[in-house]
Amino acid sequence: MNTSEPLLSISLSVGYRGKSAVLRNVALEIAPGEVLGLVGQSGSGKSTLALAILRLLELKRGRAEGTANFQGRDLIALKESELRRIRGKEIGLVLQSPLSSLNPALRIGTQMFEAWGAHARGPSERRRHSVLEALASVSLPADDVFLQRYPSQISVGQAQRVLIAMAVLHRPSLLIADEPTSALDVITQSEILALFGKLNKEMGMAVLYISHDLLSVASLCHRIAILHEGVIVECGRVAQIFGYPVHPYTQRLVQAMPDKTALIARAPVARLAASAAVPT
Amino acid sequence: MKRRSILAFLIFVLVLTRVLSYAQSGDELRFYLRSDPKTFNPLLVADDASETIRYLTGGVLVRVNRQTQQLQPELATAWKLSKDGKSISFNLREHVYFSDGTPFSAQDVAYTVQHLMDPAVHSPTGDSFRSGSGEVRTDVPSPNRITISFPAPVAGMDKLFDHVAVLSSRSPKQEMAVLGPFYVADYKSGSYVLLKRNPNYWKRDSAGRQLPYLNSIRMDIQSNRDIEELKFRRGEIDLVNSLDSEYYDRLASTSAKLLHDAGPSLDSEQMWFNQVGNAPIPAYKKEWFRSTNFRRAISLGINRADLCRVVFALHARPAVGPVSPANKFWFNTKLQPQSFDPASALRFLQQDGFRREGSTLRDRDGHPVEFSIITNSGNKYRERMTTMIQLDLGNLGIHVNVVTLDFPSLIERITQSFNYEAALLGLVNDDLDPNAQMNVWLSSAENHQWNPSEKSPETNWEAEIDRLMRAQPDEGAGVGH
Amino acid sequence: MSGIQKFACWTLAAIVLGGIALSIIVPADYTVQFRETPNAVPTHQHLLGTDELGRDRLARVLYGTRISLLLAPAAAFLSTLMAALIGVVSGYFGSWCERLALAVTDLVLSLPWLFLMLAVRAVLPLNVSPLTSVVITFLLLGLLGWAASARVLCTGTRVLRNSDFILQARASGLHGFRLLAVHIIPNLKPVLYAQFLISVPVFILSEANLGILGLGVAEPLPSWGSLLRELEGWGGFSTEPWKLAPMLLLILVVSCFQVILAREEVSA
Repeated sequence: MNTSEPLLSISLSVGYRGKSAVLRNVALEIAPGEVLGLVGQSGSGKSTLALAILRLLELKRGRAEGTANFQGRDLIALKESELRRIRGKEIGLVLQSPLSSLNPALRIGTQMFEAWGAHARGPSERRRHSVLEALASVSLPADDVFLQRYPSQISVGQAQRVLIAMAVLHRPSLLIADEPTSALDVITQSEILALFGKLNKEMGMAVLYISHDLLSVASLCHRIAILHEGVIVECGRVAQIFGYPVHPYTQRLVQAMPDKTALIARAPVARLAASAAVPT
Repeated sequence: MKRRSILAFLIFVLVLTRVLSYAQSGDELRFYLRSDPKTFNPLLVADDASETIRYLTGGVLVRVNRQTQQLQPELATAWKLSKDGKSISFNLREHVYFSDGTPFSAQDVAYTVQHLMDPAVHSPTGDSFRSGSGEVRTDVPSPNRITISFPAPVAGMDKLFDHVAVLSSRSPKQEMAVLGPFYVADYKSGSYVLLKRNPNYWKRDSAGRQLPYLNSIRMDIQSNRDIEELKFRRGEIDLVNSLDSEYYDRLASTSAKLLHDAGPSLDSEQMWFNQVGNAPIPAYKKEWFRSTNFRRAISLGINRADLCRVVFALHARPAVGPVSPANKFWFNTKLQPQSFDPASALRFLQQDGFRREGSTLRDRDGHPVEFSIITNSGNKYRERMTTMIQLDLGNLGIHVNVVTLDFPSLIERITQSFNYEAALLGLVNDDLDPNAQMNVWLSSAENHQWNPSEKSPETNWEAEIDRLMRAQPDEGAGVGH
Repeated sequence: MSGIQKFACWTLAAIVLGGIALSIIVPADYTVQFRETPNAVPTHQHLLGTDELGRDRLARVLYGTRISLLLAPAAAFLSTLMAALIGVVSGYFGSWCERLALAVTDLVLSLPWLFLMLAVRAVLPLNVSPLTSVVITFLLLGLLGWAASARVLCTGTRVLRNSDFILQARASGLHGFRLLAVHIIPNLKPVLYAQFLISVPVFILSEANLGILGLGVAEPLPSWGSLLRELEGWGGFSTEPWKLAPMLLLILVVSCFQVILAREEVSA
């Protein structure tokens, strides 16, 4: 995958007004159809990066410098009107808290229709068809009853699926998911993870999957980038990160991961094995 | 009267409850003042509340008996007006002391008159003595005699001394030392005024007992008439001064025994048209308003009897002139109020070329007759009168717009900008002598409301009134007691 | 729409239509003064008695209903619309736009209205037909009554602007007035409804108070405001209960608006 032209190639420094830089020279590349995991602890600037790529930081008074080349266009230098045509159509975004990301005053259908209408024109029948199709693709009930619901009338997992459906409505070539599972219970988490895998395979869309949870990322991603204190400290294929972590922070992350086999075989052994891997 | 005086002398009702039962008991009398007294200095009194205090605390040389309207001796035992009407001599009562014990003499009267006429004091009471420029002289030949000489004749001079409360020239308490039946013992702004019996008051009853009988008078400051009515009903206050007709009837229906109808007051309500030459109103309207026929027609077209009956529940009387039937000196019983006569009204209008087209009256140039009447808002009697006049004149085909204005705006319009067409307001009189109304009747006066401050009389009838009003002080001179 | 909302709608319609229908049936004109019978108790001729000038109370209440019920909601709508425009736009676009709008709002809130109204009265001619003066009055109320709620709306919009769902909507490519209209306004509905609901009775009553300044409803035109002003200092609840008719109508109408505009119930 490294051989082809990258879909998105960024090199960004981001700061908020009056504060020191949150991200410093963060460089990443995502190939078409690739799932890249971005892992870092909370406060490391992961979400900032997601918003910076779509230039949605301005309302929060953030400033991004550098470049974000997306299919030959620099998102940072692009005019706002041109950028709007990319948001939601070519790059989809899924935020981390599903309930607060849906407008409580609007029916699910209305929000979906609005998202569709932002990039498409056509008879309401076509609109309805697209929306129902998107709902079906995320395994939500694709019917009018569901469209009539308010966000307060559906579960958190369903809400997250609605957000994903909205993000993939226009079949974007890149999907940015910012901690999409952090608010979910374990079973729903794995379902959503599986859903991303499925969307990636079926629609061929690249995914920038942002998470603090190395384990969940491991099963989904092709490559993983480790973000620590605003800097990418390590980036490589999954096997490489897990097998031969180079940076001390990565090593600590890997070490902190619960080992399934070890858990089953009781903790003390696992601890010994883990501690053996720690360089001193 | 050429001025369209619409009528209505309000009945002045004094409600006496247990005043009589208190009379000998040495108790406290309670009633309400409707606002704070603006001053305790008797020379500066200009408002009702201060006037009440002055009446109860001030000692005067002569007093107009409020019931008989006759002049009675008080601190002066005798007085004499000079033939030319310029000076007056008083013989003063002896062995009289101020409330603080300072003795009273002609020196105090001279001191009071000098202050009264001092231009720097700006005494409203003094204004009514000001007839010509020059010094006022006071001669004190002995401690109980004084002669006061004015530079020009002063109309009704002896009666004017009813308003002059004598100040002490020597007392350290200045104007708080009084010669009247009570003195101000306590005052809390916005709350109450407490008067106490003056221990040095000179007057005695026929049995030789020192007056007053009452020990104190407590006047709480209360502007809400509903509360006043309620407290009166409950017996918490003893009297209500100048009830309006609605409250009178309400009280009459529940406690008739407590009421005493004292008859009409001196006050009047009237409507007039703007006749100011340079007023910012259309020229054709000015022509209407300056036409005697038009004004006479309006006067005939208004049903005064209905106004008295509906608005004032018969506690008012139709009038033709500015003098109230309550004024026993000056009321002319031969002058009958104009009757309501729309047919004659239309005839007067036709004489001026007005004609009816359908329901609209038009002048000879075809302008529909429409004008506005302004009155002060919040006065429901005036609002009601205006609404009734609106309907009465509507029957003549005249379209009247009623506009209620806040008082300052109203005054601004009728005295400064003259941007109005007709106004309905009242005149408050506290003096029987028409001389006190000079400021209204003289064409050169500022309160000559329909056309103030004329350089010379603009109409013959105004010239005639000017002449009569000027002749009147000379008539009055020399009529002594 | 729930049953009770339908009922409220029908009640409002009945008041409006009844007002028009009855004013045809009722024998007396609202201007006629039956001077022989002022302050009369209800009879079959005057179902609600007569007022202090002998005018038929029922006729006046009915005509006043027409005036107030037409104009007060119109003025309330106008003020709500202005509050929404100024508050939402300034809150949404922020920066200088918000600072300007808040400065104007503060100015409007701090103006001495009494003197402004006096100035308005001074500028208006005295010969204005009663109907024109009512319309001017309600227009003034509508144009001036927006400031307090504009502030609330501005703050509300600012909070919404920074919310996750607006971020999500922007990430979907929504922007500008479309985003404002579809995503922000619906969340402000409670404030807008409240502004409207509070304004209706407030305007009905302020209209009466403006009469003090020579604005407002001029005689002989009746309005609820001027009819209610008669109740000032009145204590005849037990002896003359029919005088309460305009008050009851006002309460009824305001409650109807309340019910109709109540936010749709959202079950959790």
